[in-house]
Formats: sequence, structure tokens, C-alpha cells
Amino acid sequence: MERVTGYIGRKAINSINHILDLFAFAYRILVLAVLRPKSGRTLIGRVIIQQLYFTAVQALPVILPIALLVGSAIIIQFAKLSGQYDFGRVSVLLIVREVGPIVTAMIVILRSATAVTIEVSYMRVLHELDAMEMSGLDPVRIVCVPRLVGITSALLGLFIVFDLVSIFGGYAIVWLLTYIPMASFLFQIAKAITLADIAVGIIKALLFGVTITVTCLYRGFEMKRQITEVPVATSRSSIECFLYCLIINAFISIIFYL
Amino acid sequence: MYLIEMSDYTLAPTGSGFGIKGFYFALSAGDVCAIEAQNPDDAHHFLRALATLAYPSTGTFRFKGRRLNLKNYKELLSCKKKVGYIAPDAALISNLTVRQNILIHRYYFENDLTIDLDDKMNSMCDNFGVCQKLDRRPADLNSMEQQMAIVIREISKGPEVLLLDRPEDFIGHAKFDMLVQMFNDWIDQRKPVVFVSFDRRLIRRFATRKILITNGTLTTVDVKRPMGDD
Repeated sequence: MERVTGYIGRKAINSINHILDLFAFAYRILVLAVLRPKSGRTLIGRVIIQQLYFTAVQALPVILPIALLVGSAIIIQFAKLSGQYDFGRVSVLLIVREVGPIVTAMIVILRSATAVTIEVSYMRVLHELDAMEMSGLDPVRIVCVPRLVGITSALLGLFIVFDLVSIFGGYAIVWLLTYIPMASFLFQIAKAITLADIAVGIIKALLFGVTITVTCLYRGFEMKRQITEVPVATSRSSIECFLYCLIINAFISIIFYL
Repeated sequence: MYLIEMSDYTLAPTGSGFGIKGFYFALSAGDVCAIEAQNPDDAHHFLRALATLAYPSTGTFRFKGRRLNLKNYKELLSCKKKVGYIAPDAALISNLTVRQNILIHRYYFENDLTIDLDDKMNSMCDNFGVCQKLDRRPADLNSMEQQMAIVIREISKGPEVLLLDRPEDFIGHAKFDMLVQMFNDWIDQRKPVVFVSFDRRLIRRFATRKILITNGTLTTVDVKRPMGDD
């Protein structure tokens, strides 16, 4: 019995330590992002643009069809269930408040978060971070700040794209392919969306962006010198990111809507 | 004033090494030190410690008389910038081109991405045979070319100290004359050099001190060079 409680206790302490480490790491990156020392701004700006391109622009061909499919499926289901009445409102609430942020976060985790963990892990194992330090460059500033800014902004942008495409694209698909009456759909959307929904969406996207980036970077920087640790770190970081996003999503929904 | 001063320094064992216990080491301008170690891991570990890439279990590190807080990596960056580190574990950043790798410290500190290689660097790239591959990623270069690019990057930093681990392997035996020339240039500029080498010619010709690492202890011995040997 003592061994079991000891095991649970150790696990709990390790988990709390890990969460505190993540907060400390996030704080360190955010301080560097806010302070913006003059040296290196141009270089960091370029890395931010590259990260935005990788995470946002290159993800568009993935997110557009997913948004269309998810949007049309939700609209069809709610139209059938509610018999047209109020289905616009329910679809919007579901897409903007819950499905949009989570699906966008999942796509970013699958595409970019894993890539960031692998990239940083390899940089650590192959002494590339040491090389940066030997040039007098702070790896936290050069590697972490651009990824934090880039991925968070990309996630926010992708979230907006996802919502728009899933609502209007879904509407268009249902209108084209089915006989479900959609007359009052757009009017109901306009009525359904409140400022709080938009604010919640933005808050979720920002928090997901910060959480995903910090978790991936932490797992990458945590790497020791073994290349065999890279897949383990990648798997851990993606699972962790998804779990944290679900928790944050539930937490914000509880705060705003209960 | 010493350029680097390490006191009561203890390095824990790494790899097959024994570690180095409680040693004192000071490096001044004009010193050329050759490391001779019972175990190559200890020699490499000592070089990494000089570059502040390896941290001690105990001890103080002074750079130009200023004591560094080894627990604060940011404080070490200004010291690392002034150290040229040419060793097998020195690397190029793989998502940058060779040109960007060589210029990265200038991009950062001069806050300008339009900077290009100056004539001296261009001629060095030409001599080392990487001129045609400046706009390629490190993965497109063979290992010898990558090592050349690392040497160019470290020299382009204008370091105040040079640390070399088996430079004859790094630069290649075919370019040994170039290595000798580089040593001569550094000695003329009174830049301190610490190196590990299996090439007795380099040691005989350039070393003014020997650093002996045996059974976890470090001692330094002045080398008396024969008259007329330069």
C-alpha cells in the first residue's frame, strides 16, 4: 500500500513540477518577446514570417477541406434535428465556441507542434543550440520567441478561417447538395453571434497557441544528448499539447458560459 | 590580468574520462597551450569547460577578471562570443545556408540581414574550398566542407581566444600549411590558443605551455623551445 501511495505521490509531485516548469519557461519567453532588445530584431522578424508561412499558409490546404466537411456535417445534423428552426444559432455556437478552436488546435499540433519539437530536439542533440550560444546569440530569443509569436498568430488566423469556411462553406454545400430549407440561416447566424463568442474564440486561440508552443519547445530543449529520445519527446509533446488544449477549452467554456 | 582564470575548478567525469579535480588554470594573451591527456574525453571536456559549454561541479570562472555566474547562461553569452571553438562537436545550424551560418552573429548584432561576406572572408572561403557552396544548406556539404565552414565562422567572429580540438583532422592534412599559417597569424596577434593535437609537429612548433591531464589532475608545464625554432 505504501509503495502505491508513494508512486502516486511521486507522480503527482513530478506533474506539478513539470507544470511549474512550463509556466516558468513561458514567462521567460514572454518577457523576451515583450522586452524586444534592439539587437536581432530583424533576424527574429524574418524567423517569425517563416514560422507564419509554415504554420498558417501551408496549413490552409489542410484546414479548408476539414472546415468544409465539419461545417456541412454539423449544419446537416442540426437542420435534421431541429427541423430548420434555430439550427443556424446552434451550429454557430457549436462551431465558434467549441469545434473551431479545438479542431484548429489539433491541426496545428499535428502539423507544426510535432515539427517544432523534432526541430528543436535535433538542434539540441546536434549541438546547433551550442553553436548559437558560441556566437553570442540567446537560443531562447532566436528559437523560442519567433515560434511563440508565429504559431500563436497563425493559430488565431487559422481559427478565424476555420470558422468562416465551416459556417459559410458548410451552408453553401448544404444549400447545393440537399433539399433542407435554409432560408433563415444567415439571418440566424447574424443574430446568434455575440461579442462574447468572438472574444472567447480569440482567447482560446491565443491560449492554445502559447500552450502548444511552450510545451513543444520545452520538450525539445529538455532533450539530453540521445537521438533516440527525439520520437519519445515528440509523442509526449503532442499528447500533452492536446490534453492541455482540452483542459483550457473546458475551463474557458465553464468560465464564460456557466 | 588573465583572459581566462579558472580556480578550484572540478569537472565531473564524462564518457570514459576521469574528470578533473580542483584545478587552477590561467590563460594570458600570447599563450599557446597544448593539452596532453591520458584520456581524450578529459581533454575535450576541459576544452568545453574553457568555452563555458561544460559546467563545473565547483569552482569559479573569470573572464578578463570578471567573475561569471555559471548558472546564468545569459551572462555567459558575452564570454562565449569571444571564444573561437573549433572541435568535432561544433556544428552548423542546419536550417540556415552556409553564408547565413558564417554571418549569423553579424546579422544579429548589427541588426541587418543585407550584410555580406567581406573580402577577407571571401578569400578564406575560396582558400577552404567552400566558395561555391555558400548558398547551400549544411546537409549539401560533405563533412570536411562543413568543418571548413565552422572554422571560417569561428574566425569571422574575431575571437579573443581560440580553442581547437585536433585541428589537423578538422582542417585536413592536405591543408596543413594553411593551419600553420593560421597559427602564425594568431600568434602574431597575441591571441591565446589552447589545442589538443596528435600532430607532434604542431606541438613542437607552437606550444609555449603544456597542459597535462592525468588521473583527474591538471598541471601546466612551460615549454622551452629550442633557439631559432619558430
